[in-house]
Order: sequence, then structure tokens, then C-alpha cells
Amino acid sequence: MESTPENNDLTSSKNRQSGPVGSGVDPSAPMLLSLRDITKSFGAVQALQHVDLDIPAGQVTALIGDNGAGKSTLIKTVSGIWAPTSGSMYWQGQEVHVHTPRDASHLGIATVYQDLALCDNLDIVQNMYLGREDTKAGMLDEISMELATTKTLKDLSVSTVKSVRQLVGSLSGGQRQAVAVARAVMRESQLVILDEPTAALGVSQTAQVLDLIKTLSSRGIAVLVISHNLNDVFTVADRIAVMYLGTLVSHGPIANYDRNSAVEMITTGKSDRVAALASSN
Amino acid sequence: MSTVETPAASSNEAPPPSPLRRVASFAANQQFILFLVLVGVMVFFDFHNSRFFGTSEFTNLLVDFSEAVLIAGAEMYVISSGGIDLSVGSTIAVSTVVGAYAIQYLEGHHFGEFPSLLLGTFACAGVGAMVWVINALLITKARLVPFVATLVTLSMGEGLALVFSKGGTVGYDPAAAVWSSTGFWIFRWLTLMVLTVTVVLGLVLHFTRYGRYNFAIGSNPFAARAAGINVNRHVASVYVLSGVLAGLTGMIWYFNTSGGAPQNGIGNELEAIAAVVIGGVSLFGGSGRFTGIILGVAILTVVHDGLVFINIATTWNEVVVAGFIALAAVLQSMRPGTKRLM
Ligand SMILES: Nc1ncnc2c1ncn2[C@@H]1O[C@H](COP(=O)(O)OP(=O)(O)OP(=O)(O)O)[C@@H](O)[C@H]1O
Ligand SMILES: [Mg+2]
Repeated sequence: MESTPENNDLTSSKNRQSGPVGSGVDPSAPMLLSLRDITKSFGAVQALQHVDLDIPAGQVTALIGDNGAGKSTLIKTVSGIWAPTSGSMYWQGQEVHVHTPRDASHLGIATVYQDLALCDNLDIVQNMYLGREDTKAGMLDEISMELATTKTLKDLSVSTVKSVRQLVGSLSGGQRQAVAVARAVMRESQLVILDEPTAALGVSQTAQVLDLIKTLSSRGIAVLVISHNLNDVFTVADRIAVMYLGTLVSHGPIANYDRNSAVEMITTGKSDRVAALASSN
Repeated sequence: MSTVETPAASSNEAPPPSPLRRVASFAANQQFILFLVLVGVMVFFDFHNSRFFGTSEFTNLLVDFSEAVLIAGAEMYVISSGGIDLSVGSTIAVSTVVGAYAIQYLEGHHFGEFPSLLLGTFACAGVGAMVWVINALLITKARLVPFVATLVTLSMGEGLALVFSKGGTVGYDPAAAVWSSTGFWIFRWLTLMVLTVTVVLGLVLHFTRYGRYNFAIGSNPFAARAAGINVNRHVASVYVLSGVLAGLTGMIWYFNTSGGAPQNGIGNELEAIAAVVIGGVSLFGGSGRFTGIILGVAILTVVHDGLVFINIATTWNEVVVAGFIALAAVLQSMRPGTKRLM
């Protein structure tokens, strides 16, 4: 599996000793995103404990785990929704501090949240451009935004919405999902994070989203996708990361896992088969 | 596709697919109904007293309109961002009193008339801004809900206006009265200034990022924050705007009544909120058209002045207003896409 190291800057060599080292990936390729020892507590609840995770550029990483394992919390931390209680984050080998969603989006991280985070009272165009509206002489440039939205939806073959001026609150679950994904894709990001993007979707729309994920990774964009559907995971993922009760219990190339071992990891937090597969690879 | 169709009534910018539907949705549009109501009310009063459309009455209408429209506009910003500001009325009272003192002092110290009035205006705006500081701190730092926070400043403002003025009107300023009655045709200069500010408020709300963020925050603050919008800063800025506009309205009262009376503007927050409701703005935030509140203020003003004009006791005013609010609320709840419990 080829990875596309995107930078050859000075920092990566400097950080290699102290900083992130990938597991199961070509160690000479710097990771796009590395998390080290990330901990997050909500009062007494320890939602994340000492999480280490590496996300290489241009690959699809699937984040799996049971309900309440801490998957959404992890991606919200990466996306700047809340600061980690402790731990560090490296972007292309360099330590970064992401305090707000704006910081994350400046780095090139676009996130589709599980609850989608759309404004029901705004229409599709207004949602697609929220926070980065086109303006002309201080006034919103509605026409260019509308045209670009139409084009993006067409590129992603989202054909079911009648008008891009429809309020998002009036869309079906699948259409809302499509809008949220399209919104993330339109931002020319280097890492697209999707929290259960196919959960509300029918068969053909699920296939569309999976195709979309493949398209993104073929363009060199890294994707971190959370899913409970192992079929989807084994269809699109290059790598797997498993969370169990707030800890990241295992991560590596998809070849190290099979369906049974993945289920075992999700439900018990460990699996002898994964260890065996990993050592045989 | 299981999507419920939403006619353009709730999304004015959406181009409806056929000309026929365009006409139908335009007729169903709350703005259009409001416009018909406004025209109907005016015709009604003119029918009862044919001098109602006379030039001088129109001038008075515009003066009354200009006393109400800025705080209604402010309320529109606050409500569509998901908040509410109960303190606009009492801010008018405090600022009119403080402004009156400032002008009295300046004129007593041989500042010219115009500089005194100008500085007095700044003083009024400054008082409004101070109310904002309190509101913003209570809401974003102490995490009070806007209703409670601005209820605090409402009571405080009413009390302070009385304390500062010792219960009476501060200053008597014939110069201000003379100046405020000049203008051209049916417009006074002051009215024209207010109308200009009103147009700017409407343009900013519907055609700039600031306005877009206002609706986004009112619709879903989490989504707004996730999209990189600084929600706290925006919310604070909306309360600044509201405070300053209420302060300026205090100055308008000063001009129109040639003095600072502590009862100026008291209770006007309800009129502003009524205009917002009549204008079809959702009290849950996230939607509404600025033209709606302009029509709302116009209807309330015409009804208020018209009742006087046809010699119906002003005590009926509130009853008639209640009827309009009920009508507007029903129209809004019939709008497709409105969430219903039953
Ligand atoms: N804002 C919060 N305040 C307090 N506790 C929280 C908060 N968000 C998440 N948690 C807790 O953190 C833990 C992990 O939740 P999280 O939403 O990350 O799980 P998840 O893996 O995404 O689950 P699911 O598959 O159901 O989406 C849970 O115990 C949850 O109750
Ligand atoms: Mg989740």
C-alpha cells in the first residue's frame, strides 16, 4: 500500500526521535496526524485515556468500537470542539494546538459530526458555506455560492435534492447526510473526518458515500471514518483503529484484522488473532 | 424520497419551479399578508376620518415609527440569534435621562447647541453600551439565560432612570424641539436618519456574513461553532448593537419631547417584541425577514395613532394589538415546516 508523504520539511526529521512513530506503516513516511497520550475527562467520566493514534496521508482509517467507547469524543478533540485534558497532537510531524474548530479547519481538517451540525433554518447553500461565505464588496455573493454548491452536489452525484435553496430542516436524513459530507469535501481539506456517515442511509446512498470515501483517498486526502458497520469498514478502510472503554486498544493495517477478530476487539478489547495476524504479516 | 415539500413561504429566496406556484407562494407569504393588513388598517382609518392621510398626520406617524423601529430592529437581531432582550425599553429611559443631564451641563458651560446635542447623543449611546456590557457579561460569562439577564437590566434601568432624574423630567430644551421639527416634506431630519439606519440594519442582516452568522447561531449554536464562528463574540456584539440602538432611541425621545423623562420608553420592549412576532420572526431564533418587522412596527404605529385619530380611547390600543399578535402567531403556526407538538 502506498502512502503519499506530503512534506519533506525540516521538522519531520527533528521530531522523528521524540515525536510520533507509525505502527505498521512505512516509518520513513511522516504521519499526517499523530496523537500521543490524549486524555479527556468530563468531570468524573474518563472518556479518553492515553490514546495514541497515527493517521497517514491518503489512506482511509476506520475507527471502530462499541457505543460509548469514546470515538466521537476523540474526533471532537481532534476537531477543536473541546481541548484534550492532556496529551499532544502532531500535524505533519509538528506539534500543534487545536483550541477551536477554526484552528482545525486552518490545518486542513474537515469534520462531519454524528449529529451532522447543520442549521435547519438555513438552506443548503447557506449551510455548505457557513463560516466561509463568498463575499463581493462586503456583501454575500449568493450566486457564486449557489453555483458552486450545485456543482459540488453534482460531482458527488447527489441528485435527490430538488433545490439547493431548500431549507436543510426539510431534507430527509440521507439528504442531510449528503449535504454534511459535501460540505466537508468542498473545503479542500487534507483530512476528512466522518462520524458514522452511513448510519442513516439506504443501500444505494451508503454505496455512494463509500465511493466518495474512496474518491477522496485516491486524491491523496486522508479519511478517518467511524462506523459500526463492519461490511463498510472492510470495503473502504486501509487501516483500522479499535477503541474500547476510552482506550485505543489496537491499530494497524487492515490486513492484520478479519471480521471475527475485529468483533472480538470491539467487545472485549483484545484478540489473540490480531496479534497472530500482525506477527505473520 | 420521503422529504416533505416546503413551499417557498418559509424560504423566500428559493426560486419556485413554476410561475403559478410563485404567485401562490407569494400570496401565502406572511410579508404579503402583513402588507395587505397595513394597507387595510390605513384605509380603515382614512375612511373614518379623511384627514388621516394628511401630510401632518403622516409626519407624526413617521416620528412615532422612528421611536419604535430601532429597538424593534435590535430585538430582531437578538431574537433571530436565539436570545431575547427585555432591557431595551428601560435603556431608553436611562439614556434619555443621562443624555439630558449631559446636554444641560454642556450648554451650561457654553458649549454650542449643536456640539452639546451631539455629545449628548454619544452619552446616550454610551449608556446603551454600558447596559450591553452588563447583559453580555451576565449571558456569556455568568451563563444566565438572556431572558433572566435582561430582566435584571430591565429592572435596574427602570430604577436608575428614576433615581437619576429624581422622578421628574430632566432639562427643558426648546432648541432640540425646534431642530427636531425641521425637515422636508413629510420627513423630519431625525426621521430620515432613523430610516437610513433601519435600511442599513436590514441590509446587514440579510446580505452580509454578520447577518448570516446571526441566523446560524439562532438556528444551531453548536453547528455555528463547529463551522468556525466565534459564537460568544457574536452574541456579545448583538447585545452591544441592541444597547446602542436603545440608547440612540433615548436620544430620539429627548428630541421629540424636548427633555429627559424617566418614563420615556418604559414598556417599549413589549412593543418591540410584538412587532417582531407580528413580523413573522420565530421566537425560537434562526429565521425571519427584516421587512417583516418593519411592517410590524408600521402596523402597530398606524393602529396606535389611528385609534387616537378616530377618537377611540387609547385604552383600546392594547386590545387591538393583542388581536394582531394572535393573528400573526396563528399565521406563523400554519406555516408549513413548523414543528408541532400535536
Ligand atoms: N459532553 C459530554 N459530557 C459528559 N460526558 C460525555 C460528553 N460527551 C461524551 N461523554 C461520555 O464520553 C463517553 C464516550 O462517548 P462518545 O460519544 O465518544 O462515544 P462513541 O464511541 O462515539 O459512541 P457511539 O457509538 O454511541 O456514538 C460516554 O461515556 C459519554 O457518556
Ligand atoms: Mg459517537
